[in-house]
Amino acid sequence: MSTHAATRPRRRYGRGRLAMLGFVLPALVVYLLMVIVPSLQTLQLSLTNWDGISAGYDYVGMQNYQDIVASGRFWNAVRNTLILGLGSAVIVNVISLVVALMLDRLNHAQGLFRTAVYLPALVSAFIMATIWKYLLNYNFGSVNTVLRELGLPDWARDWLGDSSIVIWVILFITCFTLGGNTTLIYLANLQSVPQELIEAARIDGASSVKVFWNVTWPMIAGAVTVNMTLAMIAGWVIFDQVLVLTSGGPGFVSETMAFFIYKVGFGEYRAGFGSAAAVVLFVVVIVSTVAANAYMRKREIQA
Amino acid sequence: MTETMAQVTFVPEKAGRMLRRRGAAREKKKWTAGEIVVMAVLAVLVIIVASPVIYALLNSFRSYAEITKDPMGLPTTFTFDNYVALFQQTAFPEAVLNTLIITVGTVVLLVLIVPMAAYGIERVGGRTSRFLYVLFIAGLMIPFQVRMIPLVKGFDDVGLYSTLLSVILVHLGGAASFGILLYCSFIKGIPIEVEEAAHVDGAGRLRTFWLIVFPMLLPVTSAFVIIQSLGLWNDFFIPLVFLDSSSAGTINVAINRMVGLLTSQWQLIYTGAILAIIPSVAIFAGFQRYFIKGMSVGAVKG
Repeated sequence: MSTHAATRPRRRYGRGRLAMLGFVLPALVVYLLMVIVPSLQTLQLSLTNWDGISAGYDYVGMQNYQDIVASGRFWNAVRNTLILGLGSAVIVNVISLVVALMLDRLNHAQGLFRTAVYLPALVSAFIMATIWKYLLNYNFGSVNTVLRELGLPDWARDWLGDSSIVIWVILFITCFTLGGNTTLIYLANLQSVPQELIEAARIDGASSVKVFWNVTWPMIAGAVTVNMTLAMIAGWVIFDQVLVLTSGGPGFVSETMAFFIYKVGFGEYRAGFGSAAAVVLFVVVIVSTVAANAYMRKREIQA
Repeated sequence: MTETMAQVTFVPEKAGRMLRRRGAAREKKKWTAGEIVVMAVLAVLVIIVASPVIYALLNSFRSYAEITKDPMGLPTTFTFDNYVALFQQTAFPEAVLNTLIITVGTVVLLVLIVPMAAYGIERVGGRTSRFLYVLFIAGLMIPFQVRMIPLVKGFDDVGLYSTLLSVILVHLGGAASFGILLYCSFIKGIPIEVEEAAHVDGAGRLRTFWLIVFPMLLPVTSAFVIIQSLGLWNDFFIPLVFLDSSSAGTINVAINRMVGLLTSQWQLIYTGAILAIIPSVAIFAGFQRYFIKGMSVGAVKG
């Protein structure tokens, strides 16, 4: 084997295509079976009336999609997903960027503060939501207790049972973080902005605000694109907080698309209908990601 | 999307050098009032955001009667009664074991198959290379909810539903895309001559990969392992869907069941929450250096 290889022209090493495909094979098989095939099956199931447990099902054409479009409950879930997904993406990015700018200003103990800021990101969405569920309990929760002790008993309310505010409460809890990962990405980008540029602008008499908008902001445009895209992809599938805090209630008021698919597909034995909703979610993710990227890329080039 | 991801490049040396240079310049700087204000603001922010966890920690040392009588009270004694009760009265120990098996199993399998696949994708060349890369990266845009219903059906059909293996396999598929993205961008920077030399010396392709290439991938591997470990440990949705009541579930699933069943045992919920957080903090504390590096290297525009 070795003598044979040695006599071969050198550049042929890179062309051991069969061997290289063999390297890809294990991951490819798992990926196809766990991601691509089931996704295509979802597309197929979305055209059926499958209940999720029976052996058989019938094809009903576009019926599920027509039902979805006509379903007020689904549009409410879309609205909630937009509020939570887009809202949390924007808020978390703003908080993270402000925190990163503050960290960047530190000349001492920057590492310590960077670690401290990252710590909240170690707590999962599920655990955070579970703790908040108890903090917001009407009778014994600390939020209402504190409000009553401060002499504001009128402010105490059923935070998770009041349909007019529940989605905003969930948004607050979703954003209740310093955005650890996002902050680190911004910080790394801020630190790669050449100091010479900033100093030059300062010498020319630019104020801190002007330096930020005209020098720093364009230089970190790439990070903004990446962070916003990642936050939005995560935002479209917000689920843990909704399941833990309200289970979609009161009624169906606080359902998100991800929760809707879960509830309809497994809880209400309408797997075909749930699959159609999943296809819609997929389209939303693709379209919003591509559109947001195209928009932000354009801005980057102009900058 | 693909373009965004493709520009995520690994530049550890460069970023490191930059940090060091600026660090050296900083040592001489004096403390300023502005800096102290910034520190105070940051400290307050961290305390506010951490307050729910601190509250849960304090209440994990109190009894249910104490918590409901005075929700804002402080623990009077620091006993570990709740921690002992959680392990003795509930299925928590089994849930911890399950979470550990899922996390370790998935990470080990990922490290066995993903770097190799990324290497194959990069070295196969031409259109095949491009096609495989895009195929894998497309997975980043397929949320778990989209593939969830057929997966449950599929695992049920082959008798694997509600097994840890099903959870591990689902995680593998989900994490593959991110892994390929991370490894491919790094492998691009490795000169092929090193591999050719090893090959000329008589090493087979598998040996060349594991003995020559894989060690060079260590910075990515450490970042990948840590990010995945945290994500797997903290995951809730996938085990919720794939583990029914015949399994003790993972820590998060077990806590979720307790919320429904033990309505008058808040202290146990708080205790469980704290126990779920401790390993994440331990992983972070142990590997912080790699961690921050791994996070920072992504998305730094060279």
